[in-house]
Formats: sequence, structure tokens, C-alpha cells
Amino acid sequence: MKLKHLLSNNWQFNLTKGARILKISVLLSIIMTFSTFANSVVYSQVEISIDVENTEITSILDFIESTTALRFFYDNDIYDFKQKRTLSLKKVKIEEVISLIFEGNLDFKLSENIVILKKAIKSTPVKNNEINTDNDQDELQKTISGSITDKDGNPLPGASIIEKGTTNGTVTNFDGDFSLNVTNANATLVVSFIGFLSQEISVAGQDKITIALIEDTANLDEVVIVGYGTVKKSDLTGSVGQMKAEEINSYPATNILQSMTGRIAGVQVIQSTGAPGAEVSVRVRGTNSIQGGNEPLYVIDGFPYSGNPTIINNFDIKSLEVLKDASATAIYGSRGANGVVLITTKRGESGVTKIDLETSYSSQTLRNKLELMNGEEYATVANIQAANDGVPTYFTQQEVNAFGEGTDWQDIVFQEAPIKSTSLNISGGSEMTQFSIGGSVFDQEGIIKGSGFQRYSLNTNFDHKISKKFSIRLSNTLTYTNTNRRDSGGGSRASSLIGAALAAAPISEPYNADGTYTVLGNAYPFVPVDVRNPLNFINEQDNENKSNALLTNLSFIYNIAPELSIKLAGGIENRDNRTDNYTTRNFYNSDGIAYVGTNQYRSLLSENTINYNKTFAEKHSISAVAGFTYQDFVSTSLAASGSGFLSDVFETHNLGASANPGIPSTGYVKSVLLSYLGRANYSYNDKYLMTISFRADGSSRYSEGNKWGYFPSAALAWKIGDEDFMQEMDVISDLKLRASYGKTGSQAIDPYTTLNLLNSGQTVMNDGLVNTFSPGTRLPGDLKWETTDQYDVGFDLALLNNRILVTADYYVKNTKDLLNTVVLASSSGFTRTIQNVGSIQNKGFEFDLSTKVLTGEFNWDLSANISFNRNEVTGLYKGEDIFTSSVSVLAINDNVQILREGSPVGQFWGFVEDGYDDQGHIKIVDQNDDGSINSEDKTFIGDANPDFIYGINSSMSYKNFDLNIFIQGSQGNDIFNASVINPTNDFGQGLNAPRDLFSNHWTPQNTNAKYPLISRASNAYASDRWIEDGSYMRLKNIELAYNLPIENSALSSAQFYLSGQNLITITDYSWWDPEVNSRGAGQAGIDHNTYPIPKTVTVGVRVGF
Amino acid sequence: MKNIKKIYNYFYSFFTIKTIGFFSLTLVFTLCMSCDIDELLQEEPKAIAAQLFYNTEEELKTGLNSIYQPMSQWRAEYIVVNDTHTDWGYGRGSRANYNDLAGFNSGKINVAGQMWNAFYLSIRNANIFIKNAEAVEGIGEAKYLRALAYFDLVRSWGGVPIRTDLNIDEKDAEKSTPSEVYALIEADLLDAEATLPADPSDIGRPSKYAATLLLADVYLTLGRYAEASAKANDVIKSNKFSLVPTTSIEDFQFNLYGPDQLTSSEEIFSFKYTRQDGYGNWILFILNSPLSGLYNFGGAYAHYGDAVNPFFTSWDGNDLRKALWDQIDFGLGATTLVSKKYIDNAAVSNRGAGNDLPVYRYAEALLIYAEAVAMAGGPTADAMEALNQVHRRAFGVDPKTPSAVDFDIADYDADSFVDLVLQERAYEFIFEGKRWFDLRRTGTAAQTILDAKGITIAEKAYLWPIPTYEIDFNDLMGPEDQNPGY
Repeated sequence: MKLKHLLSNNWQFNLTKGARILKISVLLSIIMTFSTFANSVVYSQVEISIDVENTEITSILDFIESTTALRFFYDNDIYDFKQKRTLSLKKVKIEEVISLIFEGNLDFKLSENIVILKKAIKSTPVKNNEINTDNDQDELQKTISGSITDKDGNPLPGASIIEKGTTNGTVTNFDGDFSLNVTNANATLVVSFIGFLSQEISVAGQDKITIALIEDTANLDEVVIVGYGTVKKSDLTGSVGQMKAEEINSYPATNILQSMTGRIAGVQVIQSTGAPGAEVSVRVRGTNSIQGGNEPLYVIDGFPYSGNPTIINNFDIKSLEVLKDASATAIYGSRGANGVVLITTKRGESGVTKIDLETSYSSQTLRNKLELMNGEEYATVANIQAANDGVPTYFTQQEVNAFGEGTDWQDIVFQEAPIKSTSLNISGGSEMTQFSIGGSVFDQEGIIKGSGFQRYSLNTNFDHKISKKFSIRLSNTLTYTNTNRRDSGGGSRASSLIGAALAAAPISEPYNADGTYTVLGNAYPFVPVDVRNPLNFINEQDNENKSNALLTNLSFIYNIAPELSIKLAGGIENRDNRTDNYTTRNFYNSDGIAYVGTNQYRSLLSENTINYNKTFAEKHSISAVAGFTYQDFVSTSLAASGSGFLSDVFETHNLGASANPGIPSTGYVKSVLLSYLGRANYSYNDKYLMTISFRADGSSRYSEGNKWGYFPSAALAWKIGDEDFMQEMDVISDLKLRASYGKTGSQAIDPYTTLNLLNSGQTVMNDGLVNTFSPGTRLPGDLKWETTDQYDVGFDLALLNNRILVTADYYVKNTKDLLNTVVLASSSGFTRTIQNVGSIQNKGFEFDLSTKVLTGEFNWDLSANISFNRNEVTGLYKGEDIFTSSVSVLAINDNVQILREGSPVGQFWGFVEDGYDDQGHIKIVDQNDDGSINSEDKTFIGDANPDFIYGINSSMSYKNFDLNIFIQGSQGNDIFNASVINPTNDFGQGLNAPRDLFSNHWTPQNTNAKYPLISRASNAYASDRWIEDGSYMRLKNIELAYNLPIENSALSSAQFYLSGQNLITITDYSWWDPEVNSRGAGQAGIDHNTYPIPKTVTVGVRVGF
Repeated sequence: MKNIKKIYNYFYSFFTIKTIGFFSLTLVFTLCMSCDIDELLQEEPKAIAAQLFYNTEEELKTGLNSIYQPMSQWRAEYIVVNDTHTDWGYGRGSRANYNDLAGFNSGKINVAGQMWNAFYLSIRNANIFIKNAEAVEGIGEAKYLRALAYFDLVRSWGGVPIRTDLNIDEKDAEKSTPSEVYALIEADLLDAEATLPADPSDIGRPSKYAATLLLADVYLTLGRYAEASAKANDVIKSNKFSLVPTTSIEDFQFNLYGPDQLTSSEEIFSFKYTRQDGYGNWILFILNSPLSGLYNFGGAYAHYGDAVNPFFTSWDGNDLRKALWDQIDFGLGATTLVSKKYIDNAAVSNRGAGNDLPVYRYAEALLIYAEAVAMAGGPTADAMEALNQVHRRAFGVDPKTPSAVDFDIADYDADSFVDLVLQERAYEFIFEGKRWFDLRRTGTAAQTILDAKGITIAEKAYLWPIPTYEIDFNDLMGPEDQNPGY
């Protein structure tokens, strides 16, 4: 019922405006999608009994609807439905009923149970004929017949054919055939069909034509998911980015967020590391918060999810929407400030069961192996250091020469690693029940030996109509993941796995003669003890994280009336994580160390909403939703450890056997979010659109009296393209202007932050531990919501018959009452507190372009997006700077980022170098000319924020071949390369370094060298030396696919493809990979011995049955 | 016809806004009014709120225990930083900044700030306890620890803000003069001395004599020698303590500083550590070298000595304490000395060694006594005997029996005797964090360090920098309160 009336509203609406037939086809094609397949009931045989006296036709039709499964669709214009009839019929077929009601003036079409009423065709040619004979005697009337297909030749039933410049037209039948009497032998036909680009064809000299329509991938009539509802793309008033299944699955990625990179304007995907299964950060329109998270809210099939949506396999996703402006996100209130990502999984459709299978095999390799010194060069540099520091050289020239190439530790640490991915989706159903089952296996080994990630997931969606008024909808995902981490990074010198892969001495061997690992720290007197043989980490340290996750959401929908429905939804998210870390007795300095940590997370959701849709007086259309929701979040944890094991055989499974059991710990955190929400969309004449929304969120996290936050929004849109004065402009096929404002919030604090809780601890008495309780170092205080006001203006423009689509948005986001750490005088016994002080502004511009460059046999679609965001800290407590991002690598121990009013979050801060002094030591610019170098001489040295980020997607097809190219990049962002500090400045510590250190260090002859004098006396500073341009442009994906000819086979589609990810990267960045954020997005732009992102070659098959 | 109308009416009535409104309201209300919303939004952590705590004796005890934690965590670092500001101590790599005696560079300013925080965290915990404790029990202990923290603060930073149980809730506090700080220390210690038991309630807690000896050290520092010698003498005369006899360096390593030692006859107050990850002694990692094989987690040998330094060359080779150094070349030259005073080959982690860190030992009671007596009126036989006891033990002979290694009082006047005591203290308290304060207290720092290392101490190196955040965010302090040179 709801469907029917929603559609019929549009129908009534649109048909008043000219292109009637086209709209019929829109409707028809929607119906087709709902009822493509024959049903056992033959509706034409339904028998109807009616006994009415002087009753309006509309009421008669309603009566038929209420007593049979038949549903009527009609345009109010085609007949006077207010006429009254008196009928007394017993068991009469629909054909006769219609004929009797409309006295033969209306024809009808039956599609399943849908009865479409239309004017009897016989009248049209007669009428046109008359006009023509009146106007132009020379031109002959003629009948054109033909068929309309898609590019593969499949018939398109319900496509509309209209004679250009007239109202004369028809619709194709179920075989895609049509026949039309044209008034002009040279007429031009306009052929259109929903989901396809309309096409114009001249009929001159032809009686029979076949037209293949091209799919319109940027369809304005398609439905976009928004918070607590859906909306037609053309009716959007807010800024929403969308990503489709094909893009999501275009290359093997561990999770949906990786696939989002470069796809949607305004969305920056920040890859922290290349480690398999590692989390990815996403920033929608910049960074709003200092204290809190900046990750968007992820909503999976209506369930606000707890974190990164790694639970969902990409293949199970039907579409992904990113809500960007406040008009779109305010319905999520206190969780909307960072944008909202809506993930919709695949659901079944009634009809023949469909089976889709996709399987691929990928091979990953290190993208950019660093060129480091070999053994001979390393030993030479060591000797240079000795000479410069006045100690005897470590090696004779003969020994130096004998080292030769030495050990390549990168080869020892990195490997070529496969990804195996297989996904299967089975979907189908009957008219009443639809299902979709998706199962997948994703198995990735990492390019660092021993690392890997596996995910097994089962996604089951189920829809059932219990009766005419009741239906249920179940979404369910079960996922098991297993992550094996080998990402020990950072550290000073070569104390971590990744640090050692670089800086371990090439003159050291990995193994002793007896097969044990060499202890690199003892190999040569000048090598510091903290240098680790990386094989320790690879083979002797296990770090495994297993997770079982369940996400399930069940809704009951009660359609009270055509315009009104109630939805009651309940959901649960449950995750059980277990981490097992074991360091064997073979690890350097270990007698077996075991740690087991478990974490149980559970979130319960209850959502109760009412939907209302109604059109009044044909022009006023309202759709509204209101509701009440409850969600709670409970997290418990348990961890235990032990060290000193007799044998490695126990691993983490017998902590009781440890000689030194650790102190177990447990934890419990609960928070609750209660919300009232409402939204109303109003449109007048389908041209002027307005959306207002409101949400009140009550969160347990905030102080008494500040628990409730109120988040309103409003948006206006004007479909200026539909105005009469725009109809003349052939170039512009559509134009919509949008403007919105709204308030959103961020739950930037953890539960219990406002409470004055005591920390428990231990201290030693009598050689044992005694308990301590004391306040923490953070002084608790009263806190309220962080709120973000966002303004957005934008337009959606379609040119040249939708061949070119442009979306542009400009936004300003002001976040105030920013929760921020306020430093206290620590003599008070508290080092900091959190207060609602500070503000941040983000403003930016987003631009999306999609074009059909070529259509036809050679088809070429090209799309691009670019986003510019400018972030500025506009207020801090007392205007005081906050120093962040401490880099501690022994040689340097300093903060390298600053939060300062007027500067962006991510501003690098440090010294500026000024060449070398005559000893070859680094000189620092004395910024304040006070004759000494101290923290007063620090200044801005770089910015981690890009000037802009972009993505370009080209997709070409010719005959059976498809070629997809996806390029993505970031421009103008700086990286602080902390990985390089120790190798190129911590001299005399036996660290290996990039090869150019050997050739380009300071000597009295080479005073303009890249590196300073190789000496222990070399001083390192947190300076611009470590800042590099992190801009890059990368060929994220290139795929060549071959579609098998599958006529006369059981298959509905079959495709082989070969693709490559990250094959080409253009960048000046010197280290492994420019897509790096060792500290995550919170301290973006720092590279400190981090697992690099690999490049990948993939072969795969996609098959549909 | 009638039927149709009925049906029609039925449907019509069902669709009216009234029914719908009623239905939906009922639904929403049943759902959200069945529970009290305010109650739902109450936080109920499984944790203790401060305002509900500190009522029972048991609760108070945990508050008392929390005073130890911050100070004991930083004790090792505090010791090595101070001992690198001496004639004999060196720091490796970034820690060389300390032995340059040029004042703290930016990285070290951070370290100083962290220690400042730790002292004040302990002080805060002491203040909370003192404020909440109703019975006298424990207050002496809290005051002892508070005095200990302020004594380190005032010696390292000079004047500092005074925070007590009286101004606990105030955000700001002005910088006090050193004499104001000392007045608080003295008052606290007199209270502590009066209320603490003669024997500690647990090994690791202070006894009355811990307060007495700390008071002696405070008086010595303040130049109140008569009071200092009296207090030190109180400790000696209590007959509760005796020097641990030694005949080999192993006796030092295992019986005095050993990882398995629960306590010793010499212990007056120590920070206690145990072989538990995170609760063990960290100084072993800082000082040891993997090449010596005396610490099963290797070690960072971040602080060291140098065999060609006059301090070592003039040191009597028969002194067992000199043998607590290994000469190891780890790349800084063949004469590098690595300490093996604190060793443990059964530690459980880098921070998991069992050795304690002595704060006051009986040896110090003897040496304070000797120095204070001499400063008050020249050396006496008693003072010489006190010194000789420590000296004999270092040479492996019975501390109580006169021996050939004894110093003879006839050879010394007041000045040279005090020098002798200071030198004995220097040997005795290596890596116990005493020497830098001794040199400053006696005004001998500049000359001693110039003689040994050839370094002129920068003026700013005498006091540590007050953390910038203290100056910026304490509204009663300003840039003028920063110590000179920073």
C-alpha cells in the first residue's frame, strides 16, 4: 500500500507537467523491478463482486483493492474519477469491471496484481491525425514499430517512446516492442526508460527501428538511503555522497573504508598502516574535535555501529551513503558531527533465485624497497664515525671490503603475500518473502612475514510480509575475524620489528652457526643493545586477535494506513574479542611471556518510528518521520598475564604454569543514549523542497543538567531545472540548488569522565603488593556537549541530457564548546582537566563530476571528485598553545605538532635548519636572535593537512572488454618522517641508513651535504629536516575484465579480470609509502617505522547464475 | 449498498488522525515511559567515587599507600639524574646533557617536569589522606612522605608552591621561599617523629627513626648542625640499626642491595620494589650492561663512570665499593665503568627487578652524625668512630672493631675531617642520589667538578627548571618565578 501510494503521488504529481508517457514508463519500470517474474496467481482471472449504488469511482476502486490483491495505478487527469456509478456484479473478471466502470474510455494493463489505467490508445492517433491534417497536408502519418533493449540486447518493457514536440507516445510491451503512429514521417522519437539515458532517434525513412539504451549510472530517480528513511536522489536537500556495489568491489580491500578512498568528495580516508586488518580512519569534512573521536558514525542497515565496520564483507554491501552536511546528519544528533556513513547490505528480490560468486587471488609486494647501505658501505661509514670521534676505526680496509653486500634485512622481513577472497551471494524469494544470504572468506597474508588477517562472514537478510499490513525485516551479520599482527613499529634505533628491518646492520647475520638468532645488540661494540634481530618478532612473538561479532536487527512494520506506518526495531551488536600474545623463550631476553586479554562489547538498540507520507491538493507533498530510540553500550574486559615458562608448548593457554603471574585486571563501562527524533520533508509542486529535522539526545556520559543536547537542522532546495524558464535551455537538463544549516554534536568524552572516581593501583610493602586508591591525574569537572554548526550551499547540475553531472558544495563547520584538555598547574596534584573550551572551524569546497564521454559500442564513463578543506583552531583555553605528537627516539625527544589559534590541527612545529657550522654540525635558525637555541626558536615547519584530495575514475567498455582505471591522490600534505631520524643522525650507534648517507655526508670538501658530519657529537633537533612533502598521486586500481559470451548458458554473467592496486605511485616522499600515519589520524602525518601499504596484483572471476 | 458504506466508514474512521495519533502516542509512551528516563541516564560505574571514600580504616590505608606510588616510580630516574651532576657520573647519549652541567635542554626539561608532577602527585595523595584521616594513625606516615617529597623539591627546584591539606581544593598557589618550604618540612617531620611507631608497621613504611634521620639531614642541609647531630645520634643510640657486615662485593650486591633482600639491619627507609612487572626496580635497566651479564634484561648502561676520572684513580683499590664497577668498553672507550651495585638475574621484566632503592641507611645516620658534629665544633672521637664504622665495612672488616684501615683523628682538623666524611659519603652512596646535594650543601660543587671533569657548572644547572605549565597555568605564579637561566 505504502509503495503504491508513494508512487501514485509522484505519478499524480508528474503527469500534470507534460512528459506524461515518460513518467508512465518510470512507474512501469519500477513495477517491473518489483514483479519481474510470473506468479502462480493469474490476476487477470481474479473474480470480483461489487454491489454499489451511486458511488464515486475512487471508492469503488478502493473497495476492489480491499477485497482483492489488485492494486490500481492511474493518473487523475485521464478520467473524472469523481463520477459516480451504480454497479451490481457477481464474479466478474477485471477486464469487464474496468470496461463497465469507465464505459470503455480507459484501457488498462495488468502487470501481476497491478492494474494500470490509461486512456484507450485508439483515441490518440485519431486525434493527432486530425491535428496533422489541419496543419500540414504534405506530411504523412506513418506507423513506426520497433523494440527497445539495453546494450546487451535484453528487451526493456515499459520504456516510453514519445514523438518529440508532441504529446504523442506509447510504451513498450513485455517483449520491449512498440508500435506508434507518428504524425510526421521525419519525426524524432525520444526514448526513455528509468535507469537509462534517454535517446533521440530520427525515424526518417524507417518503419522498424531497434534502439539500445545506455545505462544511466548517475540516475537521479534512484533512491538514496538517509537516516531513518530513504529519499529520491532528485529530492535530496542535503549533501550526501554515494558509493555503489561495483565501486565497493572493484578491488580486494579488507574493509569498506579502504574502498572508499578517493571515491567521495569531502571524505578523506586515512590509512594508518598497511598491516592486514588494521583500522582505517575516515574524516568527513575535516577534523572537528581535539579531545574526542573524529570518526564518522557508521550505521549498518539502520544499526548505529560501534566502530570501524570491518565486520561487513564488501561483497555483501549494496550501497554506501555518506551523509555530509548537517541537514543530513542532524537526525543522528550527538553522533552526527563527524558525518554519518550508512551501509546497506544486499537484500533479496522476489523471483528466480540469483547466485553471484566472486573469487579472486592477489599477490602483494612491498611497493618501494628502500635503498640502504650494503655491508661494505655500512662498515665504511662506521669507520668514518670512529675517525671523526677520535676512536680507533672498527674495521680494517680488508675487513670492510670483505663485507660486500651483506645481509638485506628488508628481504628477511618482507615477503610476497597472497590474498584469497571468495564471496557468494544467494538471493531471491516470492512475493511475500525475500531473502539474501551472503557468505565470504577473506584470507590475507601480510607482506611482513607472519602477519595476516582472516575473515569469515555470513550476512543474512530476510523480508516477509505477514499480511497486508504487517511485515518484518531482519538483517543479520555474523563475522569471525582473526588478525595476526607483526607490526611492532616505532621505537628508537632498531628496537622494533620494522625499525630493525631498516636499521639492523647489514654486516650482521640473521643466524648463528648453531641456528639460533644472532643478538644484534652484542654483535659489534658500537651497536646499541636495543637493536633487535627482527626474526625475534617474526618467529618468536605471536600476537593474535580473534573476534566474533554479531550484528542483528529486526524490525516490525505496521502499515496502519496508506500514508502512515509504524516501525518497531530492535537490534543487538555483540562482539567478543580475545587477544593472545606470546613471546617465546627463544625471543631475546625472554623466558616466555604470555598475555591474554578478552573484551566483551554489547550494544542494545530499540528504535520506534512513525512514518507519514501524504500529498495534499496534488502539489503539497509531505513525508515525515518521528521516533524514540534507546541504545546502550556495555563493555567488559578481563586480562591476565604471566612470564617465566618452562616450555613454549603452553603458549598462552596455561598461565598457571608461569613463574611470575601478572596481576589480572577487569573492567566495566556502560553508557546509555536516549533520543527523540523527527524529520519532515515538504515539497511544493516537486520544485521547492524543504527538510527540517530535530533530535534530542540524552547521554549518560555528561554531567547532571547537561545530559540533554538538542540538534535541529533545516534545508531548502529549489529544482530550478524544472522551472518553465529553464525548459528552453537544452544544455541544462537538470539543476537543483541546495542550502542547509544544522547543529550536530559529538560525544567526545568517555563514560564516567565527569565523575570523580578513584583509580586503584598497587605499591610494594613487605616485598608484596598492597592496594592503593587515589584520584587520577585528571581533575573531573562538569561537561556538556561539543556542538558543530554547519552551513552548506550546493548545487546538482545535469548537462546535455544527463551526460554530464556536476555536484558542488561549499560548507562551513564551526565546532564550539570543544571539549579540550586544559592543563593545570601540576602542583595541584592534577595535571589536566577537561573543559568545554576552544573551537575549531572547517570550511571547504567539494566538487563531483561524472560524465559519459562516449556511449555506444565503445562506452567510456569518466568521473572525478576533488575536495578542499581548511581547518583552523579558532579558540583554545586562554589562547595557550598545546603541544602534541611527541617524538621520542633518543636522538630527539620533543613535541612536533602544535595546536595554536589560527593554525590547523596537524600543524608541525619545530626548528628550522640553517646548514652546517664549520664542524659539520647542524645549525639552527635563531628565530628570536637571542643568541641561544631553545624552544623559543621553534616555528611552523609543515602541515599534515592536504591542500586537496582527489579521485579520478575511468571506466571503458568495448565489446566484451571492460577497462577500469582509478586514480587517487593527495596534494600538499607534509609528513614528519621520524623513521629516518635515528639512521641518519644517531651516529655511532651502528644503525643502517639510506645509501645516500654514504655518498652525501658532510666533509670539509662537501660542506653542502644532505647529511651532517658522521659523528657521535652530531645533534639532532625536531627540525624541518624531517619534514617531507607527502603529496602523491597513485594508480589505486587498474582492472581489465573480459565478459564471457554467455548466451544459451545457465549463467547470467561471467567475467574474468586482472587488476593491480597501487601499481604506480607518483610521489617525492622518500620512505616506503606516502599513505602513512603511524599514530593514526589523531596525530596525522607522522611516519615512524610503520607497516607499509603494499602493491597488489589480482586475478579474479565474477559469475552470476 | 449499505454494506459498502459500512466498510467505507470503517476504513475511513480507522484512518483518521485521531486514531492514528492515539495509537502512536500509546505506543511511544508505553515504550519510553515504562522506565524513568533520568534514572536511565545515571552513570553507575563499577568504581569508587572519591566523595564516598576514605571512611573506614581500610579505605584510608589504601589512600595512604597511594602516596608511595608516584615517588617510588620516579626514584630511580631521580637518583641517576642527580648522580650524573657529580664529579664521577656520566650520562650516555641524550643523558650526556646532565653531566655537561650546563642546565637542562628541552628534552630534559620534560623529564624534570615529569618528576615535578610525581612529587606533587604524592603530595596530593598525602594531603587527601591527612585531610580525611580522623585518627592520628597514619598521619605521621603521610607527613613523613610529604616532607620527603618537599625536601627533594626544595633541593632540586628551590622555592616551590606549597600544597597542603589546607589548600587542597585551590587551583593556584604562589611560589614559596625555600625557608617556608623547610618550615613545612620541619613541622611535618616533628609531627611524624612524635607519632610514628618505633618499628615500622610494614617493611617499607617509615618508623619514628626514619623521621628522625630525615630531620637530621634537613638540619644538616640548613646548617643547624647541633640539631642535626642530636637527631642523628638519636638514631644511633636507638640501637635498632647496624651496618650489614661485608667481606666481598657479593655481600654488598646481595646482602645490602640484593634483589632477594626483604630488609636489612641497615635499612631506615627505602622505596620497595618486587619482582613483578611494573612494580620492580627500574634502575637495573638504566645502569647495567648486557656485557656484564648481571641483569637478565641486559640494561641500557645509560649512566656510567670513567676509570681515568680522578675520582676513580684516587680511590683505594682495596675498597670493596670500588669493585662495584666493571670496566667495559661498549663503544665509549676502554675506560668506561659500568655499575654493578644493583644486580638481579631473576628479574621478570625491564621494570621487574627485586632490589630496593635505599633512601636512608644506617650508614648515613653515622655519616650525618660525623659531619654535623665536626661542623658544630670539630671532630670528636665519636664522630671519627662513626665514620670509621662505615669505612671499615667498606674494606671488608668488622665495622665495630678498630682496624688497620681506620682513619686517625689526629690527622684531621675540622675542615679536612668534613672533607673526609664527604668523600666517604661519595663512595658509599653511589647511585643513591646523595652526592650532588652534598656538593651543593657544602659549597664544593664548582671546584670538585672542575677538578674531576674540567667542567665549569653553568649557573642555571644548580636548580631545575620549573615546568612551563606550572608557570603558565598557576595564576599565582609568573615568568619571574622561573629559576634563573630558564
